[in-house]
Amino acid sequence: MKGNHLFVRNRLLPAMVWVIAILVIWELTSWALLNIGHLPLAQSKLPYLHEVLATSIQYSGTLIKEGSATFGNAGIGFLLGALAGVVLAILMSISTWIEKLTFPYAVASQMIPVLGLAPIIYGIVRDEYISRILISGYITFFPVALNMLRGLRSVEPSALELMHSYAAKPWSIYWKLRLPAAIPGLFSGLKIAAPLAVTGAILVELMGAQHGIGVIMLRNLYYGPSHVYMFWSTVFIGALLGILSYWLISLIERIVSPWQPEFRSKGGSHS
Amino acid sequence: MSLTASMVKHQVQTPEIQLKDVEMRYPTDTGDVLALHQVSLDIGKGEFVSLLGPSGCGKTTLLRLMADLIQPTSGSIHVAGKTAKEARLAQKYGIVFQSPVLYDWRKVKQNVVLPLELVGVSKIERERKAIELLELVGLEKFADQYPWQLSGGMQQRAAIARALAMEPEILLMDEPFSALDEFTRERLNEELLSVWNNIQNTIVFVTHSIPESIFLSDRVFVLSPHPGRLSAVVEIPLPRPRTQEMRNSPAFFELIARIRDSFEGV
Repeated sequence: MKGNHLFVRNRLLPAMVWVIAILVIWELTSWALLNIGHLPLAQSKLPYLHEVLATSIQYSGTLIKEGSATFGNAGIGFLLGALAGVVLAILMSISTWIEKLTFPYAVASQMIPVLGLAPIIYGIVRDEYISRILISGYITFFPVALNMLRGLRSVEPSALELMHSYAAKPWSIYWKLRLPAAIPGLFSGLKIAAPLAVTGAILVELMGAQHGIGVIMLRNLYYGPSHVYMFWSTVFIGALLGILSYWLISLIERIVSPWQPEFRSKGGSHS
Repeated sequence: MSLTASMVKHQVQTPEIQLKDVEMRYPTDTGDVLALHQVSLDIGKGEFVSLLGPSGCGKTTLLRLMADLIQPTSGSIHVAGKTAKEARLAQKYGIVFQSPVLYDWRKVKQNVVLPLELVGVSKIERERKAIELLELVGLEKFADQYPWQLSGGMQQRAAIARALAMEPEILLMDEPFSALDEFTRERLNEELLSVWNNIQNTIVFVTHSIPESIFLSDRVFVLSPHPGRLSAVVEIPLPRPRTQEMRNSPAFFELIARIRDSFEGV
């Protein structure tokens, strides 16, 4: 098909060129640091990618197990945080009184550094799973609430007047107009929050948990140069989890709201 | 409809829309702005009237008052024998805005039956009615498209179909074709008249185009600005059905001149 051909030429090809170029430059630089620069701990600074990959495959069992512990908890926290964000956004859009009451505190809550908050929460609940869920939820909550609120308020006056002309009930106006109109805003909030939720969960693990990708990351960092490839594997897995979460949300968005401007195909218009 | 009947109907019948001494003021920082001054008018059942005037004359304000989207500072408004608010709550009118105001997330057929959905009409009945409405405006092939896949003219036709969903006695139209090009606009004028011929309801049409108002209407209410007021009511004695050739007739040009002369202080 012509569309597929264009996709390959315009999207896939440039992406491939970039990926291959970066891989080549990385490997060459790594080789140069080691053999030309003779830097101390050259592999810790920029390891051979093929070695990292080999280690990742060798320890794939561990990486998948610990990775899914992190991802699972981050996911639960993300869902809870998103739900809380949506509910608060709806309440704030209904009543400016609630907005004035809660919004400054919602903003202030985001001023607390997660790095400081994580050990506090861990100290209180004394459970690594709950801590991860709480921190992921805490990080997710704010961008979701903010973007959802903006979405709820994005409704055009004429769209509202149409509802008034039908004498629509406030409940119907939310269900048929405000909530659908807020979907693009909601998803931009979710897309910002999803990778952050994963990072937050990893951060909690660094505070001294038993499971999770952050734990083996920390361990291999302590073990020093001999475990450098494993350390880099965990870094890549962490990044992959973040990308995966973003990609998952984008996929859901496409399924839930195919009508959004960025998903529209070109040339579909009739005269 | 016989010619005699159409000539006298707005005089003999009880008015479908009646405004008495309607005054509209907007408060602003520099004092009140008088948007409408002492407007009184009657619109007969089944009549097609235009509210014509330059921007700032209050024609859209007048339409929004009839729709109960805003309320007058003083004066009374009756629509279909009820107060404007009662008429709105009883869904006595359908409204078409300047922009189509179709909801992006709904397919064309779902947009068209939105008012039916709000009053709890069953899905099967809605499907049936959607096809009927879309056939009325010639969009049946586009039922499953999204609004953005339609041209501006087609979107506005969908908006008209939606306004007719509740089979309202009155259709209020606020410059529905002003964003369209001249050719599309003239075609849609003709289509609107053929739809009106089928359903025979009362239409109030806001426009700033003199030819459009003449082509469509039984009577043209001419409004003048600063303050917005009714400065003339012009009968359009052109026979129906109206045809595109009439736009070039001497009678048509005479009416244009008469209406142009009736504006005050523009």
